[in-house]
Amino acid sequence: MTIDRANSALLIVAHGSTVNPDSSAPTLAHAAEIWRRKVFAEVACAFWKEEPSLRDALCLFDPKPIREVYVVPNFISEGYFTQTVIPRELELNGRITKRSSGQIWKYCEPVGNHSMMTELLLKRACEVAQDVSPAQTTLLIVAHGTDLNENSAVAAKREAENIRALAKYGDVLNVYMEEPPLVSDWKKLTKTPNVVVVPFFISDGLHSYEDIPVLLGIASERPVSNCRAERGEIFRHNPHRINGRSLFYAPSIGTDEGYRASSQI
Amino acid sequence: MPNLIEQALEAALVDRFYIGQILVRKTNGGGFVISHRDDQGRGDLKLFQSAEDAIDLTKFDDSGNYRPLKTAPNLQHGWRLQLAILDDLRRSLDYFYPGRLAIFVSWKSSQLQITPLRETLDRQSGMYRIAAKISDKQVNRVVGDFCRSDGGCLRTVLWKRDSRGTVASTRLPPEKFDPAFDQTLTPGSPPPATTPRLIPLLCQEPCNLLVAECRNVVKDETER
Ligand code: SF4
Repeated sequence: MTIDRANSALLIVAHGSTVNPDSSAPTLAHAAEIWRRKVFAEVACAFWKEEPSLRDALCLFDPKPIREVYVVPNFISEGYFTQTVIPRELELNGRITKRSSGQIWKYCEPVGNHSMMTELLLKRACEVAQDVSPAQTTLLIVAHGTDLNENSAVAAKREAENIRALAKYGDVLNVYMEEPPLVSDWKKLTKTPNVVVVPFFISDGLHSYEDIPVLLGIASERPVSNCRAERGEIFRHNPHRINGRSLFYAPSIGTDEGYRASSQI
Repeated sequence: MPNLIEQALEAALVDRFYIGQILVRKTNGGGFVISHRDDQGRGDLKLFQSAEDAIDLTKFDDSGNYRPLKTAPNLQHGWRLQLAILDDLRRSLDYFYPGRLAIFVSWKSSQLQITPLRETLDRQSGMYRIAAKISDKQVNRVVGDFCRSDGGCLRTVLWKRDSRGTVASTRLPPEKFDPAFDQTLTPGSPPPATTPRLIPLLCQEPCNLLVAECRNVVKDETER
């Protein structure tokens, strides 16, 4: 897709959070990086649970210089937010919406749908467990599971299948927090001496800092503090030695530096 | 919007201006210094020099608690942000008070779309659909508590309760709806002798936090 740089803006839309201070971090970081690369005349973010809101976003771009706005949901998969909330709040009526000012809003697919996702998962797995042989390693991609809002379970399965087809890892499994195959059953589900776990989420938060580590057995149920350094502590103790096997735990895939929303369009 | 915003900032920046809890000053060298309004005259402020430093400065209050609403009157103290160019100033203010400058510019040019609370509530789906069931009496109380400037939110409320133009809450003072009023001051108290210009933080549509609060009220009621 060719973008008329001088007259186009990028709006990255994310969920945000009223309790998790790290929820918006990857989205803000992507926006700052894309702004630095000067791919668009303007780059902005909007959030469902933070500011600026999706409604605020309607006023962010002056229709005189900005003729086109590309809306990219920073979501791991299609779902309730990409299909219902974002179009409603941004008053979008399909892939292309023409405003009364003549400004065109183009609604793009969520970043998680991008074909680069498979590559990023491989990169992250490789970074977190640099000195192990992939053939001796099982890669676990952890999604939420019974989350009615998102189809992330389907997307995680698709990614696991893509990576399995490359025959690089000993095994590749999609596992879930709340439905089988359960991440807490990892010892039964995997046979290799090494296991790499990558959370399939946009940002780090309660699930990646606390819930999944507890389910894996690498953290106690003590809640993690709100201090940023402590929150990221769990990713700094690799490998975790359990029953003679090595378990490597990575941050959420959406926090990867290579994961740039601009690649979606 | 950056150009229009920069024009508005330049107009406000004869010398200095207030936006929310922030004081913005022009330096002799053509740069800008921003700090917490309460920190004027303090010599022990920690210096920051990148617009992006504002992301972390706005995240937590003085006690280290996460600030889900950036226009809440709990901006942390003790810092001083020095910026070289107008574009840095615009970007940093957009981290401190996301979207507020664009909304201000839209309002100034009479382009701002203002949405009544009932319309926002009626549009909700999923878990928030139930919020529309809130009674007028409950709205009056919730908005009066949640949006109040002392301890709630420093925005000036532009929206009405419904399409008939009912005031958002009779519990809020008339100053809460006046963009010329400095929301950090106590209504009715004598204004300070000299005050810099003011860029108001405008609320053109109830935020998601207020919608969630309305939902809680309805849920509590139905579960009782
Ligand atoms: S509705 Fe507006 S004034 Fe009330 S708390 Fe939310 S942002 Fe502040």
